[in-house]
Amino acid sequence: MDQLLQHLLNTLILGGTYALLGIGLTLIFGIMKVVNFTHGELYAFGAYMMFFFAMVLGLDFFATLVIAVILGVALGALIEITLLRPLRGANIDTTMLVMIGAWIVMQNTEQLVWSGIAKSINTPFPVEPLVLGPVSVSWVRVFVFVVAVLLILGAQLLIHRTKLGKAMRATFQDRDTAALMGVNINFVYTATFALGSGLAAAAGALLGPVFVVTPTMGNLAALKAFAIVILGGLGNIKGATIGGFILAFVEEMGAGYVSSGYRDAMGFLLIIIVLLFKPTGLFARAERIG
Amino acid sequence: MLEIDGLDCCYGKVNALRAVSLTVNQGELVTLIGANGAGKTTTLKAISGLLPPVGGSIHFEGEDITQASAKRILALGIAHCPEGRRVFPYMTVQENLEMGCYLRTDRSALTEDMERIFTRFPVLAERRSQMAGTLSGGEQQMLAIGRALMSRPKLVLFDEPSLGLAPNLVERTFDIIMEIRAQGTTVLMVEQNAYAALEMCDRSYLLESGQVALQGTGQDLLDDPHVREAYLGG
Repeated sequence: MDQLLQHLLNTLILGGTYALLGIGLTLIFGIMKVVNFTHGELYAFGAYMMFFFAMVLGLDFFATLVIAVILGVALGALIEITLLRPLRGANIDTTMLVMIGAWIVMQNTEQLVWSGIAKSINTPFPVEPLVLGPVSVSWVRVFVFVVAVLLILGAQLLIHRTKLGKAMRATFQDRDTAALMGVNINFVYTATFALGSGLAAAAGALLGPVFVVTPTMGNLAALKAFAIVILGGLGNIKGATIGGFILAFVEEMGAGYVSSGYRDAMGFLLIIIVLLFKPTGLFARAERIG
Repeated sequence: MLEIDGLDCCYGKVNALRAVSLTVNQGELVTLIGANGAGKTTTLKAISGLLPPVGGSIHFEGEDITQASAKRILALGIAHCPEGRRVFPYMTVQENLEMGCYLRTDRSALTEDMERIFTRFPVLAERRSQMAGTLSGGEQQMLAIGRALMSRPKLVLFDEPSLGLAPNLVERTFDIIMEIRAQGTTVLMVEQNAYAALEMCDRSYLLESGQVALQGTGQDLLDDPHVREAYLGG
């Protein structure tokens, strides 16, 4: 029983960051229809920015987190403007190839700049875990969870309650008609990609200090993000959030009760099952925002 | 109010409009009639900035809007109610109307305008928090018209407002458009239902293969033997 409680707690913490990754990608892949292979690299970018500002420059941990997310947004905007804007309306295969190229360039740049050696990031949190009866959790993970939940709620509010969010939904439901309403379509595309990228960078910046930072850390993250998006249904923010928690749950239980060596395999097994029986994802189309 | 002179438009290498010239005066209801592919929708898209023309000019209230952005053109007072209604299906009725006044910032007047739309179309008020994609075709048309009016336009472009509607709703839609004009908004309407379009308009233009083939008052065109033969069933 105690072991189960511990696993559930771990699920919650891990699920928060998975949800962040998933929401970021569902905006770009599910709504903008860009198969974004750079998502994992933006995740790694967030983690490296955390390392650079906190460990190399010695800046405050919390300030670094904000900087890392802002830089992630900026890098996303740059990718959209330089690579995707000229390809607007191009074949999805063309865009996909360009994004694969960007992925390779970004990953190799990370390797060149930071070398292949794993980096670790110190946190200002106490080393002793927070003990809650039979279960315990490290403070940094509690922090990660809280920030992830705040970011998820923030993204939800942005999309459903603000004018920009409305413009985003309108644009991806019907681009020409949104233009007729006076929406600046180019700006909406850039903003959406930048927002998705910022969420990926945030996930990396949050998990960097929990694990270690390596140039290939983005690969698995990107795969999982795609899995979460497919699980939740394309373009469905709530679906991506719940999908993130489901993936974390399956991984955690699989690792705990089957074999920890199969942790990552469990999630993908789940995706295969979902795709076999409900290829549109677990959540209804009616929930889509674009 | 609106002056189009020698307009040329292309889709890729295909010429869709050749030297189209037309005018719409303040307070008029002008219609564009013609067969499928004659260039009616293209003309409206060129006016509202969705399809930049390759030649000719478009002036609205004296200002050159030939190459202006859709946003600028809307801000000047031209709203476009597109073919096939094109409501945002996964947004609520209210959100669709809010999109109609995306550029406006006068919040109190906005609420007033929205209430006015709801009074005119009570069915929209009943469904204000329902997804627009779940409305019937007629309700979607009301929503599309309401949305176009939310920008407080001086000129509204209607593209095939009767398309795909049940006969009684077609009547109702035309009545609404005449009401809009009666309240002082100028209307340029594209319509395949040539008889209705000619009956209700002040003036009309007949487009054939991307060119203006005929123009005149509604009655002129109704009496024209070619129009009778080709568009009114003899």
